[in-house]
Amino acid sequence: MVQPAETLPEAAVRELIAIHAGPKRVPARFKIITDTSDFFKVEYNDVVVLGGVPYWVHRCEKEGRFGIDDEPKYWVRRAIELTTGATKILKLVFHEQFETTVGEVTITCFRSPKKEARILDLVAGHRNFMHGHWVLDAAGNNVRILEFIHGPRFDDIVAGYGTDHYDYFHRYFPQVLDQYLELVLAIKFLHDHGEKHGDIRRDHILWDVDTKTNRWIDFDYNYQQGEALFGFDMQGLGNILIFVAGRGDVLVPDLYRNQREIFDTLWGEDLSIAYKNRVANLKKIYPYIPDSLNRALLHFSVGANIFYETTDQLLDDLARARADMVSLTGRQA
Amino acid sequence: MNEHDFGDLARRDTERHLLAAVDESDNSKRAVMFLADFFSDSQNVFVTLLSIIPEPSEDFFPTETERRQWLTEKETAMRNTLAGYKEILLGAGFQDGRIATRLSIRPGTISIGDAILEEQEKLRCCIVVVGRRGITHSEEFIFGSTSSKILHQAKHCAVMVVE
Repeated sequence: MVQPAETLPEAAVRELIAIHAGPKRVPARFKIITDTSDFFKVEYNDVVVLGGVPYWVHRCEKEGRFGIDDEPKYWVRRAIELTTGATKILKLVFHEQFETTVGEVTITCFRSPKKEARILDLVAGHRNFMHGHWVLDAAGNNVRILEFIHGPRFDDIVAGYGTDHYDYFHRYFPQVLDQYLELVLAIKFLHDHGEKHGDIRRDHILWDVDTKTNRWIDFDYNYQQGEALFGFDMQGLGNILIFVAGRGDVLVPDLYRNQREIFDTLWGEDLSIAYKNRVANLKKIYPYIPDSLNRALLHFSVGANIFYETTDQLLDDLARARADMVSLTGRQA
Repeated sequence: MNEHDFGDLARRDTERHLLAAVDESDNSKRAVMFLADFFSDSQNVFVTLLSIIPEPSEDFFPTETERRQWLTEKETAMRNTLAGYKEILLGAGFQDGRIATRLSIRPGTISIGDAILEEQEKLRCCIVVVGRRGITHSEEFIFGSTSSKILHQAKHCAVMVVE
């Protein structure tokens, strides 16, 4: 909802901070900001007023990048909504265009505040997405104000299930597969409305401990698609499927070091087409994986001749895999 | 002929109507040159040179003005390219009346392959001609392939893929 940008008197803001944090926590000096164009100027303890609502800014959010130290995202700030005391995430405008490489293919990506705002409107009320609203600040910047999600990453939970893969697969995977299917259905919801997620990665799914659901976050990326409108999203879903089926990524160097007899059976076609150091043909590693599930995995392998273009195609195949998992484990979920 | 004018379709039903789907790439140019070489002597062949421009999302541009400017520039460049391809056909001996050019700007939510097949159905062309980019396996995985889609999904027509 667009609301007129307005500021608040400092005394009123001090009073609000005192109400929510106690008089001793009111900072001696802070800025009241209505124009967030230069997000580096928004500092710890500043108050950003958006649509007449004051947000007391705290730290930057960070993004884990697979083994690299968390990188601060200066345009994403945790804040306290001073009218309610609720924790919010403020995403300030940061236009970014960059190229990413997946499976030796270069993809041009854009960070678009407009896109994320549009999708926030679309998914309001959808339980598998982060929620929030957007406001234009005094300079017309589209600032997204997101509900804070309490809970760990989906992939961290999955990797912690079971004592080993056999235990995980037979005791936990049926329920993980159901959760994954729900997440794919959520992406289908976007695609059916002509939208892409744009940055489907396993660290972009959070388990919300309050609602007991997995929720997709961070959909401000768009990418320049080709003939397959949702190809990049589909490869992201494939990477996550490989991860959940394998209870983590099965890395070729690890097999070479620790399980040479399995390494010796692998061919290039068994590897993930997106990340060629990961095994997609997991049945070679874990022979109890049903053929139906493995066939779905193979659509994301170097050896695939046909790729999934739509979530419906993937969901159709996984429905068979789910039925086979029930037969194998006797567990519905 | 404009986007909504199909008045001469009945006439073309009795002709051999080729739809050459082209863009600014070298492989499109090769496809046009192949047509010029292969069909210039055929007096009853009608060629429509079609180009599809997918309308870019607002997400890729900071302002609507920049988006419109991009689209205008792209349209101008594509009209020039189509004119160049028409010259190639004329130079090979095609009569002017047997060549049409057609530029269609489509929403970005429809794929180019689907848009080409829609045009084929509307124009009732008996052959669709496309160039082949020769993309890698990984590129097809991420981006898909227009020529593959046309090969697999075209109905009531032949498909010619020019390498």
